[in-house]
Amino acid sequence: MIQPQTHLNVADNSGARQLMCIRIIGASNRRYAHIGDVIVAVIKEAIPNTPLKKSEVIRAVIVRTCKELKRDNGMILRYDDNAAVVIDQEGNPKGTRIFGAIARELRQLNFTKIVSLAPEVL
Amino acid sequence: MWAALRSRSSSSPFSSLHPWKQGIAVPPGLNLTAFSSSSITTNKAFLSLQEIQTVLNDVRADDVKVLSVPNTHADWADYVVLATGRSTWHVKNIAQALIYKAKQKQKGVDRKVLPSVEGQEEGKWIVIDSGKIIVHALDEKAREYYNLESLWTTETSQKDPNPELEKAFVKIRPKNNSKKPVRKVA
Repeated sequence: MIQPQTHLNVADNSGARQLMCIRIIGASNRRYAHIGDVIVAVIKEAIPNTPLKKSEVIRAVIVRTCKELKRDNGMILRYDDNAAVVIDQEGNPKGTRIFGAIARELRQLNFTKIVSLAPEVL
Repeated sequence: MWAALRSRSSSSPFSSLHPWKQGIAVPPGLNLTAFSSSSITTNKAFLSLQEIQTVLNDVRADDVKVLSVPNTHADWADYVVLATGRSTWHVKNIAQALIYKAKQKQKGVDRKVLPSVEGQEEGKWIVIDSGKIIVHALDEKAREYYNLESLWTTETSQKDPNPELEKAFVKIRPKNNSKKPVRKVA
């Protein structure tokens, strides 16, 4: 359940450290974003000497949420943090490596690039 | 126990029925062909490794590498194929050729299953996800930037212990320079 003003961790080595959601892409009046949704976010905190700077506006895909994700087979998946991966306008990840476990649903939502960079797929 | 009995009792008339069914209603030959055709359609849906390699040879993709996927990813893919194109056009053509081949392979099938393609508009990194084999077509810059082969190959080699690393993390207890008498813990 990511809404505008939610702070998210960054799950890649793009250089951003903390994001704040400012808009959910996909519908005009959408309230919450879940795993696999694209959001517009502001960088609140960045690692020094990286291409991304603080207060830059970027797009990101949500990869982990505290709100549980239900699968059809009854499995429930939830993480300890809200995390996102920074992407560009075309959907390519900005970073080259992704940290932490990632849900398999991202592959069905056409984020195979992110899934193939991830160290673990749940 | 009851369930087992019930299943046995229910299965026994069925099994007695089966030879009759096979003998008269459905000739065994027909049954076999139906089965084999269904298995072919599932095979037909996805390209095999051999076919992908011939397609990549035909479109002259550079530096083709086939990597088997480590265990952590094993449930969603078997092989990863990496290919480099000389330009964005070339990368797009590699993807087009693979999709065309998949279409050709399924000629005459009622429902074609096409591989899902990602990043086709731009042509820097295109992923063609055809079931258990995933083809990454990248241009030279992207290939260098993302360095996918190191990601896939080091993951397996990471498990064997590095002798230097082990030495580096040996904890050294700091010397106790304080003048206070050490209290003995019972």
